Amino acid sequence: MKNMINKRNGFYQITIGMMLFLIGLGNFSCKKIDDVQSTRLATEETNWKTLEDAKANLLSVYGLIRSATVSDNTHWLMGDLRQGDFAITNRADLKAIVNGQLNASYPVINRITNWRRFYAAVNAASLFIERSKEIRALDPRYTQLNNDVDVAQARMIRAFAYFYMVRIWGDVPLLTSSHDGDFVKVGRTSKDKVLAFCTNELLAAAQVVPFRYGGTDPIMPGLYYGANWPSWNGIVFTRLSAYIILAHIAAWQGNYIDAANYSKFVLDNQSTQYFVDGANPLDYIDMAALTENQNNYSPFAYKRATLMVGFPFEAGNGLSTSNGHIEQLTLAAPYIPKVQPEMFVTKDSILKIFTDPKDLRFSIDPISGLYRKNYFTNFESEQPIFSKIKVIYPSNTSGNVTLFSSSMVFSRMEEITLLRAEALAVLGQREAAINALNKAANLRGPIVYLSASSKDLIDAIFEERRRELMGEGWRWYDIVRYNRIKNSNGVFATKNGVPMTFKQFETAGGIYWPVSQDVINANSLITQNPYWQ
Amino acid sequence: MTKIFTCICCFFLVAVFGPKSVRANRSDDRVAKAFLAFQQDTSKKVKATYSSTADTIGQMIRTLQKFKTNRDTINVRSSAAVPNLSLQQVIKGNLAGVYVQEPNGEPGTEQSMIVQGASGLLFSKKDIYALQPAVYLNGVPLVQDNPFAFDIQKYDYNRVGPATNLLSQISMDNIQSIVVVKDPYELAKLGPNAANGAIYITTKNARAGVRDISLNSYFGYVAAPSVNTVNGVYENNFRKPFYQKYATASNYASYASYLRDSTNTAYYGPSNWNDLYYQSTPTFSADLGITGGSDRANFRFFGSGTKNAGNADDTNIDRYNLFFGINMAPFKWLTVSSTVNTARLDRNRNKSLRDRFAETRYIPDLSSPLSPNASIYSGYLQESARNVDDNRSNILNGNLNLSAKINKIVISTSLAFDYNEGIRDYFTPSTLMDGVSYVSNYFGYSQRLLLNNFATYKYEINAKNAIDFEIGQSFQGDTYKYNYARAYNGPNDYVKLNIVDGNAGSDDYLNTLAANGFYVFRYIDKERNNLFSLYASAKYKYKDLLTLSALVRRDGSSNGQPNSRWVTTPAFNADWNLKEQFLKDNGIFDKLHLSAGWGRTLRIFQDDRFAAGPQYRSENGWFEEPTIPGYGGRLGINRPYDSGFIGYNISLPYAERTNLTIDATTLKGRLNAALTLYNRNDKNQVIGMPVPLETGYSANYQSGMDINNKGVELLLNGLVIDQPKSLSWSTGLNINYNQNELKALPNGVKELIYNNDNKLVVGKPVGSYWLYANNGIYNTNAEVPAGMTFNGIPMKAGDPRWVDYNGDNKIDSKDKILTGNRQPKFVGGWNNTLSYKNFDLNFNFIFALGQKSINQYEATKYGFVNREAGNDINSVKEVSSWQTFSNEKSYPIYNPWSDVDAYRTDQDLFLENSSYVKLRSVTLGYDFGKTVLFNKATGKGVRRAYLYATAMNLFTITKFSGVDPELVNYNGYYDGANLTIPRTFVLGFKLDL
Repeated sequence: MKNMINKRNGFYQITIGMMLFLIGLGNFSCKKIDDVQSTRLATEETNWKTLEDAKANLLSVYGLIRSATVSDNTHWLMGDLRQGDFAITNRADLKAIVNGQLNASYPVINRITNWRRFYAAVNAASLFIERSKEIRALDPRYTQLNNDVDVAQARMIRAFAYFYMVRIWGDVPLLTSSHDGDFVKVGRTSKDKVLAFCTNELLAAAQVVPFRYGGTDPIMPGLYYGANWPSWNGIVFTRLSAYIILAHIAAWQGNYIDAANYSKFVLDNQSTQYFVDGANPLDYIDMAALTENQNNYSPFAYKRATLMVGFPFEAGNGLSTSNGHIEQLTLAAPYIPKVQPEMFVTKDSILKIFTDPKDLRFSIDPISGLYRKNYFTNFESEQPIFSKIKVIYPSNTSGNVTLFSSSMVFSRMEEITLLRAEALAVLGQREAAINALNKAANLRGPIVYLSASSKDLIDAIFEERRRELMGEGWRWYDIVRYNRIKNSNGVFATKNGVPMTFKQFETAGGIYWPVSQDVINANSLITQNPYWQ
Repeated sequence: MTKIFTCICCFFLVAVFGPKSVRANRSDDRVAKAFLAFQQDTSKKVKATYSSTADTIGQMIRTLQKFKTNRDTINVRSSAAVPNLSLQQVIKGNLAGVYVQEPNGEPGTEQSMIVQGASGLLFSKKDIYALQPAVYLNGVPLVQDNPFAFDIQKYDYNRVGPATNLLSQISMDNIQSIVVVKDPYELAKLGPNAANGAIYITTKNARAGVRDISLNSYFGYVAAPSVNTVNGVYENNFRKPFYQKYATASNYASYASYLRDSTNTAYYGPSNWNDLYYQSTPTFSADLGITGGSDRANFRFFGSGTKNAGNADDTNIDRYNLFFGINMAPFKWLTVSSTVNTARLDRNRNKSLRDRFAETRYIPDLSSPLSPNASIYSGYLQESARNVDDNRSNILNGNLNLSAKINKIVISTSLAFDYNEGIRDYFTPSTLMDGVSYVSNYFGYSQRLLLNNFATYKYEINAKNAIDFEIGQSFQGDTYKYNYARAYNGPNDYVKLNIVDGNAGSDDYLNTLAANGFYVFRYIDKERNNLFSLYASAKYKYKDLLTLSALVRRDGSSNGQPNSRWVTTPAFNADWNLKEQFLKDNGIFDKLHLSAGWGRTLRIFQDDRFAAGPQYRSENGWFEEPTIPGYGGRLGINRPYDSGFIGYNISLPYAERTNLTIDATTLKGRLNAALTLYNRNDKNQVIGMPVPLETGYSANYQSGMDINNKGVELLLNGLVIDQPKSLSWSTGLNINYNQNELKALPNGVKELIYNNDNKLVVGKPVGSYWLYANNGIYNTNAEVPAGMTFNGIPMKAGDPRWVDYNGDNKIDSKDKILTGNRQPKFVGGWNNTLSYKNFDLNFNFIFALGQKSINQYEATKYGFVNREAGNDINSVKEVSSWQTFSNEKSYPIYNPWSDVDAYRTDQDLFLENSSYVKLRSVTLGYDFGKTVLFNKATGKGVRRAYLYATAMNLFTITKFSGVDPELVNYNGYYDGANLTIPRTFVLGFKLDL
């Protein structure tokens, strides 16, 4: 009994202990218990602190503009279909684009006409321009030069995004700062103002960025974010990229003097990336590099210096995707296990476009009757496969894995050379223009435009662009520039049965795409492009 | 965090055992003797003089059961004879105010419960996760799968991983009671977990008694449905009118290739796929429960094994469930109790193309669909047999409760935990995906630890007045994690594992992207959140007449922003015994209560993003490719442009409820009725507000969305015929009427377009559809009003005649109207038991009325042109689509090639009423235990020997034109892709010794 009492006392101690425990627990700092650092995101407290933050934020700007240009195959749907060379097998949305019914009610059309994805890149670039300097003060490894170069790249990407949008939609809202956390409503700005902004930004950036990153370029010698030039080429925008974009903006504005100058700068400085710092050189590419994924030069299959303005999807970095590549639209058996391509170039078109019997891309040998298969496969069939670009995981030319790794190629040597030819031709520098044209065309067989030729030089240049850049998202914009130069009085398009010349068509806003209703719903200051109202 | 937790645990142990061991050093012999005494006590004392129900949980249940057990509880006895697998199925139609959706008959798939109306949006799977009530198993708030995995998914048909319904873990034979908690005061007591209401499950637990053994088993089968199969002829004929009316030469040229050749037996041969697809499959279960022990120490063990099968596509789930519970009262004033429940769920999933492509995110050429011919389809099944599809969930949960009574103070502490892990290994051979094999592996877990302490004190002022005080605090820590990898194109179909080079010297050491291996994409995510709560309550009781309760609690959630994560919320309740007050001598009413309550509870975010404020994530992808990790081989981070901006000033939402209940028992206890009026306001919720898209963002998350649900619930339980010697009939009816209304949007906005496809308007239900009104067809171009356009496209003959509400001759989003509701107006059930001598017959009707759904299945059938041209996930044609349904509606023949997309789903053409009444189950049973046979043979041994036969899902009354109005997805779209809910027939017995 005595023991029992004692025991009871003992257990009273337990309860006292428990109570102490209760009280003790209550006194834990509640704040601390509730401080759980998320491992899934970076916050204002953790971002913009180190060199690595600068790298991650800058590369995301590239990632966003890449996604903007390729999502739902935008680059090709908008560039290659309107009045283009492709015919559609089945897809009603693609047919609508080909027929010029750009406001047709299909999910893909609705998504590609939503410009938010470009503004995500614009906003990220603006944010980088505004915030990255904070890192300077916190991380001594992040040098002023490094920061300047990064900011210049962000400005180039932003300018590129605006230029890309102006080509699609004409007047677009111009936002030049991030307004971070503040959701401003801005109406459309005239396309001339937007392009003037782009030009200024690019010119300023071009003064800062090097020709090579991570190499021996005196502008910025040494490794760039710990990596050398071979690992950066084809990935980030260089000084040449800036001038290419400048040249295109100028050409789009009809300012061919500048276009000629800027493209000259690019071509004159080929040496800056020609067999230097251990990387594959920037050079004109041969047929194997163009269509067979030749390792050292192919701008499609690999990140190479030849990808002068563009965005790679490298299989080795886990970036092979099914959407975002022209292969998804154009390839079928025998390249990938797919019965029919979604779009193809008809036999008639091929014969009309590729007229030179010596053209390596496509031509029929008049004697043997055999044809060259570099651009097209199954030419005899109803639906020839447009097989020029075929980068099938990882970088094969055929395979079962319908994940593709081809880069979004905006510009390469041949393209900028042809743009220069175009500029020179418009400016009347006929011989120089012919030289540039032949420089590019000669790569595809002994195709020569003789200065004595009776064929119109402008026509010849645009026809060569059509052949060389087929499936690279240029056709529609080339048609626009060509018609602006020619300014013909022929019927360019009809709307509701009313025929229009190109000038009338352009004045009415027909060269631009409608903007998605979602954009208009979200911002009352945005009005629909008048042509599509 | 780990430190704190270890610290707490140590403190806990020290607190309990510390003083004892300290004292032990002082005097070992006393401990030894005490221990001995403890042993002897328990073994000897059969007749205890005091009760030792160590029931910290039970207190709560008792308060809930103040209106007898039949209020808001499941009729456990009749439910136990129905071979349901999941908790949701048990509850469906049987708990007032709980709307259960079972959109898929595939066993073990996720199901939804919504208590008293939707407190949030209903547009995506993620939304549905946020609406689920808390489920408590023996006081353990079970942790759900976290929807954050949807962030990495392209399609949200199923969550990555096993996606098994975790509420399949409980075996009905082990359940004592299932209660839905809707009372504001009780919910406030449960805290933020229960903001959407709570389902409180108590298992049969250890209790004193000589012995109690129960053995239950059933065996039966799910029946294959009879279907009306079709082949290419039907499809061809179906398309004919479209071609005759509208087709151009090029349309004919692109005629579906698989239908071109009418001599092709693959599509034009016999259509007998159903012989292989639908199978009558056995379903069975057996379990054993043993309860025993003395008043001072007793235990319960329960073990069960169940196979629940679906009738289609060889789907089933195996469940193994073990439960152990123990109560001890080492001393008069101290009780210790513990339960552990563990389950394993192995699921055999369907082989549908859609689910497979959604998992593989890889869509091969779809131009040749599966053949309806069994001999060809069997080839597909043979290849499918080479699939690996292991889906396993392991679940372990339990609690440890200590309760000490010192004079009038009771101090209790409990530790509860729930851990569940999901594992999925999936492999599909290259033969099924155009030459590319695929493997994915998932491991994920959710874990919850809850430490709960409280003390109660009863202060009796005098005989008439008494006050119960209670203070408590709790700490809850949740962790969610998964690792997921998907990979393509293995070396061959025998290598079903993603192997890396383990040689450290090799160039490809651990390189998952090495040549000749799989092409791998990896995802890792983890999220934690903590909840800390303190509360105090007082309950004043005046005689048996009036009870007044008040509670105040303060909760802090780590998922709230630092300046607003701590919130104080109150709750009140009053209960007035009208019978005692006014009708003491009245013979009509046996009982009459009026109670009213009001309470506010904090609601916590499921996602930790909101706590962080402005943030950066890796969101580089786009709609078709949502998980692009970065650029140039390096990870990128950027503002969350796709998922939406999150700023500061996001505060935690909260739920407010008001309840008024009148409860009466009359006719000498034979009729019990309860009428409840409720009003729920879920306030300050966060919603992604549309922003000008030129900012780059898809949305800006802001606080301030209020949603109201109000309604009436009626419960009637009656003993209609009561003749114990011959026939008696008891019946129970529950009906809930709910009205949902969006009350406010952030910044005083009155309406907004949400994610482009839905519209939210203040004053309307959140589940409304936003649709064009269809009014027939333009037969000729002349009928089209001049200049009429649809979103800028000139309209032509063959286009639908959509109503131009604003009369501007343009059909655009301004002409879309809010109509219909995804949620039903009425839900409920009617349960009846007839008994005659030892026979009894139970039948259970359930219903949901007033909801509408979009028949997307028909929309894609009629819109075959766009579907087949697309080669995307919506182009998939399952083998089960080779059938027709008797109640199918026919729609106008529009021009399927028109750019206006005539068969779009956002028009009321496909909106239909999906109300239903179902005979959910019928059970006929006979209790041999009461017969002379058993009584003689075994003496008093058998308490019950019940033999029964149950049939489930016998018939449905509905106007819905699809297979089953229940098979509508959470977002209100019926896509026909889900497996049917089978008719089940079982024969079983229940033996209680």
